[in-house]
Amino acid sequence: MKKLFTMTAVLILLTTLIFSLSVSAQEERYGGTLNAAVKMSVAHLDTDNSTDSMISSMMNHVYEGLFEFDKNLQVQPHLAESYQVAEDGREYTVNLRRGVMMHNGQEMNADDVLASFDRWLRLNNGGNIVEPYFDSVEKINDYKIIFKFAEPYAPFLNILASPVSNQKFVVRAEEIIDKFGDSVITEHAGTGPYKVENWIPDQNLTLEKFDNYTASSLESSFFAGERTPYLDRIVFNFITDSQVRVSGIQTGQFQFAEEVPRDQYQIFKANSDINTQIIYPDKMAVLITNNGVPPFNNKYARQALVYALDFEELGYAMIGNPEFWRLEAALHEEGNPWHDETAGEGIYGVYDPEKAKELLAKADYDGTPLVILSGQDDDMERNGAIAIKDQLEEIGINVELQLFDRPTVVEKRAKLEGWNIHLSPFIKTVPDPQIHQGWTGTNKWITNWDSEESREMDEIFERMVKEVDYDERYKIVQEFYDEMWDSVPYFNILDFSRLHITRSNLRNYQPAWQPFFWNTWLEE
Amino acid sequence: MLFYKSLIKLKHPYIITALVILMIIFTLALLAPVLTEYDPENNDARNRLKPPSFKHFLGTDEFGRDVFTRLIYGIRASMQVGFSVVILTAVFGIIVGVLAGYYPSLDNVIMRFLDGMMAFPGIIIAISLAAIWGAGKYNIIFALSFAYFPKMARIVRSAVISIKDIEYVESARAVGAKDNYIIFNYILRNCTSPILVQATFNFALAILDEAALSFLGIGIMPPTPSLGGMITDARSYMTVAPWLIISPGVMIILSVLSLNLLGDGLRDFLDPHLKGSIKN
Repeated sequence: MKKLFTMTAVLILLTTLIFSLSVSAQEERYGGTLNAAVKMSVAHLDTDNSTDSMISSMMNHVYEGLFEFDKNLQVQPHLAESYQVAEDGREYTVNLRRGVMMHNGQEMNADDVLASFDRWLRLNNGGNIVEPYFDSVEKINDYKIIFKFAEPYAPFLNILASPVSNQKFVVRAEEIIDKFGDSVITEHAGTGPYKVENWIPDQNLTLEKFDNYTASSLESSFFAGERTPYLDRIVFNFITDSQVRVSGIQTGQFQFAEEVPRDQYQIFKANSDINTQIIYPDKMAVLITNNGVPPFNNKYARQALVYALDFEELGYAMIGNPEFWRLEAALHEEGNPWHDETAGEGIYGVYDPEKAKELLAKADYDGTPLVILSGQDDDMERNGAIAIKDQLEEIGINVELQLFDRPTVVEKRAKLEGWNIHLSPFIKTVPDPQIHQGWTGTNKWITNWDSEESREMDEIFERMVKEVDYDERYKIVQEFYDEMWDSVPYFNILDFSRLHITRSNLRNYQPAWQPFFWNTWLEE
Repeated sequence: MLFYKSLIKLKHPYIITALVILMIIFTLALLAPVLTEYDPENNDARNRLKPPSFKHFLGTDEFGRDVFTRLIYGIRASMQVGFSVVILTAVFGIIVGVLAGYYPSLDNVIMRFLDGMMAFPGIIIAISLAAIWGAGKYNIIFALSFAYFPKMARIVRSAVISIKDIEYVESARAVGAKDNYIIFNYILRNCTSPILVQATFNFALAILDEAALSFLGIGIMPPTPSLGGMITDARSYMTVAPWLIISPGVMIILSVLSLNLLGDGLRDFLDPHLKGSIKN
C-alpha cells in the first residue's frame, strides 16, 4: 500500500513537472518576424544627429546606454557594471561590463565609450546640456573611466540615460565613429540585441537578431536589465495614416500599431484579437504664456489664467475618454522620485472665474484680445486651443485663435510679439528635474520671461544642479514647484496617454514610453 | 408669379424640386438663431460624442456642441460664401467679358490671359491663393471668386459677341447711342440667361470648394462652423460617432445637387430653342 502511494505521488509529481515545462515552452517562444506599424518615417538612423524620438525608439534595439531607465524611471547601470560618485559630486567613476560583444565582432571597451561620449557631447542635444559643466574624461584601463566636472554636477547619470527624444548616450563601435565623424552614420555597430539588416527610406527598417548578444544580468525592467531577443526579425513599417495602422492589426498584417485613435478604445477592447496598451507615464499638456509682453508679463495675469480654466472640461475636450488623461500639477508623475503631491496646492485645478477676473483687474489687463497660437495637426493642441478660447470668452476675454501647421507655429512662437498663449505637448518621462531649466528661467525657450521672479527661478536651478544628495535636492525641487505655481511661467494642465494596440499573439509586450520588442515573443 | 406659373405650366420637376429643397435650406440658415437654443461655438465637453436624442436632434460633437446647431450655422457660412462668390464672379466676369466681347482690340489680350488662368483647375488656384493669404472666410471668398471669374467672363464675352452685331444693336449705334447705353440697355439685358445659369453653377461650386478648403484646413477657421470643417473634424470619429459626418455630408449633397438641378432647369427653361421640346 505504501509502495502504491509512493508511486502515485511520484507519477503526479512527474506529470506536473512535464506539464509545467510544456506550458513554459509554449509561453516563451523563439523565432518569427514581428511587423510593427509606426506612425512616421525617419530621415536617417543616427540619434546624435537628430531630435527625432522615432529614431531612438527603433535604434534602442541596436544601441544601448551605459545607463538605462527602469519601469519606475530609476536609473540603472546597463553597459556599466557599477559606478561611484565622488563625495564632492565632481567625479563619476564607471566600471564597464566585460565581454560585451558588438555587432562588428569586437568586444566593447573604454575606447568605444570615449569615442561615443565625445561625439555625444558635441552633437547630441543631451550632450549639449552636459557640455557647459563638463571638464574631462579619463581612461583608467579598458574597463574603467572617470568623468570629471569643474563644479558638482548632479543630473549627469540621469541625462546619460535620458528617455527624452534622442538624448540618451549610447555606445557605438569606435571604428564607426572614426569613419563617419560628425556626419550622419549610415553603418551601425552597437551592442544591442538586434542589428540593422536593411533600411528602405519611407518604407521600413528591418532589424535582425544579434546572435552574440551579451545581456545584462540585472532583472529586466523596461529599458534596464536583461534583454532577450526572442524574435528573429523586427520590421518597422512607416505608416502615417492611423486608420491604416488599425486595419493592419485587425487583418493580422501587423502585430503592433503605434498611436491609434483613443476614441476607438472600446472597439479595440471588444476585439479578442487585439490587446490595448495605454502608455503611462507618457505626456503632459502644457500651457505656455508669452511673459515678455502684456498682459502675461504680470504674474497676476498668469495666475488668472489658471483660475479661469476648467481643467477637467479641457481634459474631455483635448483627450476625450478619461481613461487616457488625469489631472496632475507636478511635472513628474506619481511614483517618480521627483514627484511632489503638494505641488500647485490652492491654485492648480481650482476653477474660479470670479477670482480670475479680480486678478486680471489687479494686473491692469486692458482688454486687448489675446492671441492663442496653436498647431492644427495634433488633436490635443487643436482641440485644447479651441476649448481654451471658449472658456476665456465665457469670462469676457476677447480671444483670437490662430491655428497653423507645425513649422509655422514654431516660427511664430519664437517671436516676442504676435502671440500670448501657446499649447504644447511635453514628454512626461523627463530624466531629471534639471531638464526643466531648459524652458524655465530668464528668457528660456519661448517664454520671454525676464523679471525678478525669473531670476529667483534661475537661482533655484543653480542650486539644483550642484546638489548631489537626493534628499537635499528633492527639497530644492519642491522650492521649484512652489515658485512655479506662484509665478506661473507656464503650467501643466493635465497628463495624457497614447494608445498603442498589439495583436493578441504578441506576448509579454511592455507599454513603455518608447516601444521595444526584446523580451517579447510571437505565439504560434 | 408669372415665372412660377410658367414653371408649373412647363411641368419642370427639376426646378420645382430644387427650389423646394433650396427654400428649406435657406430657411434653416436664415432662422438659425430661433431654431435652436444652443450656441454653435459653446463647448460642453463632458457631453461629447452623444448620439442623436430628443435633447440633441443630431447628437453632439467632440466638444459636446449640438450638431444640428452647428449644421444650420454651417449652412449660413456656406451660403454667405456662395452668395459672395456669385456676386463677385458676376461683377468681374461681366466687366471683363463685356470689355473683351465688345472691344475687339482688347479681346486678344484679355482672352489669352483668361486662357492661361483656365489652364489650371479652379480649385488648385483657390487652394494656392488661400494658402498664400491664409485661412478665413473673406480670404476664401476672394480666392474662389478669382478662380471662377474667368469662366463667367468667357461666357459673357461669347454672349456679347453674338449679340453686338444683331440688327437692333446696329440700329441703336446708327442713331448715335453711346457704348455704355448700348451695353446696358441692349446687350447685357440679353445676356441675362447665360449669366443666371452660370451663377447657379458657381454657387454650387463655391459651396463644394469651400467645403474642400475647410476640409484641407485652409478654409473657415474653427470654432466657426462650416460644412467642410465639420466633415474634417468628423473624420477622426467616423467609427465611433458616424452621425457627425452624415449630416454635413448630406447637407452638402442636397445643396449642390439642388443648385445644379436649378442651373440645368433654368438653362433649359430660358433657352428658346429648347422651349418647344419641353412643352411637348
